[in-house]
Amino acid sequence: MGELNKKTLEYLAGLGKLDIKKGTEEKLLHDLGEILSRFEELKEVDTENVESMAGGVTGINVFRDDESVKINNRGKTKARITDAFPEKQDGLLKVPAIFE
Amino acid sequence: MEISDLTIEKFHEGLVRKEFSAFEITEKFFGHIEEMDGKINAFLRITKDLALSEASRIDVELAEGKDLGLLAGVPIALKDNMMVEGEVTTAASKILESYRASYDATVVSKLKEAGAVILGKTNLDEFAMGSSTENSGFKTTKNPYDTDRVPGGSSGGSAAAVASGMALAALGSDTGGSIRQPAGFCGVAGLKPTYGAVSRYGLIAMASSLDQIGSFGKTVRDAAILFKEIAGRDEMDSTSISLPQGYGDEILNPKLEDIKKLKIGIPKEYFIDGLSSEVKKAIDLAMAKLKSLGLEIKEISLPHTKYALSAYYIIMPAEVSANLARFDGIRYSRIEEGVKSERTALWDIYFNQKGRGFGSETQRRIILGNFVLSSGYYDAYYSKAQKVRHLIKQDFESVFNPSAGGNCRWDSSL
Repeated sequence: MGELNKKTLEYLAGLGKLDIKKGTEEKLLHDLGEILSRFEELKEVDTENVESMAGGVTGINVFRDDESVKINNRGKTKARITDAFPEKQDGLLKVPAIFE
Repeated sequence: MEISDLTIEKFHEGLVRKEFSAFEITEKFFGHIEEMDGKINAFLRITKDLALSEASRIDVELAEGKDLGLLAGVPIALKDNMMVEGEVTTAASKILESYRASYDATVVSKLKEAGAVILGKTNLDEFAMGSSTENSGFKTTKNPYDTDRVPGGSSGGSAAAVASGMALAALGSDTGGSIRQPAGFCGVAGLKPTYGAVSRYGLIAMASSLDQIGSFGKTVRDAAILFKEIAGRDEMDSTSISLPQGYGDEILNPKLEDIKKLKIGIPKEYFIDGLSSEVKKAIDLAMAKLKSLGLEIKEISLPHTKYALSAYYIIMPAEVSANLARFDGIRYSRIEEGVKSERTALWDIYFNQKGRGFGSETQRRIILGNFVLSSGYYDAYYSKAQKVRHLIKQDFESVFNPSAGGNCRWDSSL
């Protein structure tokens, strides 16, 4: 089922903001092709009327009251998060210009 | 006291009888790490200040006559995908080389509350993706029993640390075998708890519908003690569940008479070509032992077992590609800038970070995940795998919970 070629590979890498290193395309295509051919076996399985299972085990919704909740050490955690920003200004996250 | 003789309970007894202090034992562990870890490479970093100050605190509490829990002063290692506030936490990826955790993972706050002494952070395959701990962005961990061999993975650092006596116990994480397999390779006890039993708040996510934190110990009992401490519902992880009342007591003091009434299912699909004769022999021995204790052994069938690996290898990278998108060089740490291109400055950051920060296996899984999720292929791969996953779950329900409407598939007695 999977038609993987250099063009699709570049597209998929781009979705993940990855450049494929020069000289590695062939091996990557080969490896992915092998993996995809293994998936062919799933075609044998009759999944008509079977529901998808997206989560872990219980699959129940978890609700809480729509009220703000006090988080322990919130101020400290916030400071640590903003400290970790590579570029910041006045506690805000600084991002380079998107339009140039 | 030789630290190699210790178990968690032996340590606790010696500590409260004042045969040794927590500080003294912690220093001995660091001495052992210094001596051994050059050969094993189990640790990415040690957290000496944190450990020694915690050990001193425990010694003071004991001197003041306070009651100490079983884990007080116990020297523990943590896989480096769990956040310890203020400490570097990398998931063994160069992309997080200088990232300092903003808060404690829930398992870490629980261990701190229990007074455990965190010795350091252990090596893993990058973002917990791999089975040998050779895939780390920083170093390769060796099996302490034979340094020509791998310790398994991805929690190979934690398994090797416990096996070589560089930590009394450890935490790891398991998505598709990452605790159980290295525990097997290193000859220690390792537990992947039921999904939801332990909060993942503060665990760097790999494949969220499968990730679970669990314990390593020198003995099954040690792994159980550690599990009991970290288990339970956490408001910060909506997938976590409350444990039944009294469950903890059952873990540490199982009622052997009740256990004898259990039937052990042996799935026939697990005994296929490729199973090594040594493993088969060990399982046969274990079954004979269980039988001699009065347990019943039944052959069962889990017919969709064959498809589990394919389903896993679609679902896992799909979730990986989504979870790893956040490491963009903007919100967390940034590694050195790469070359400028004709792209915008923002895109340069993205591509440089991911290209230089992610190892090749990580990049491969992101690409595979993007493929199985992409338009045109989603139904054939991702959606199909999710349905097969449901069938696999139903296999288990029909065997273990026949009252819920499934057909019991117990076959002949072995």
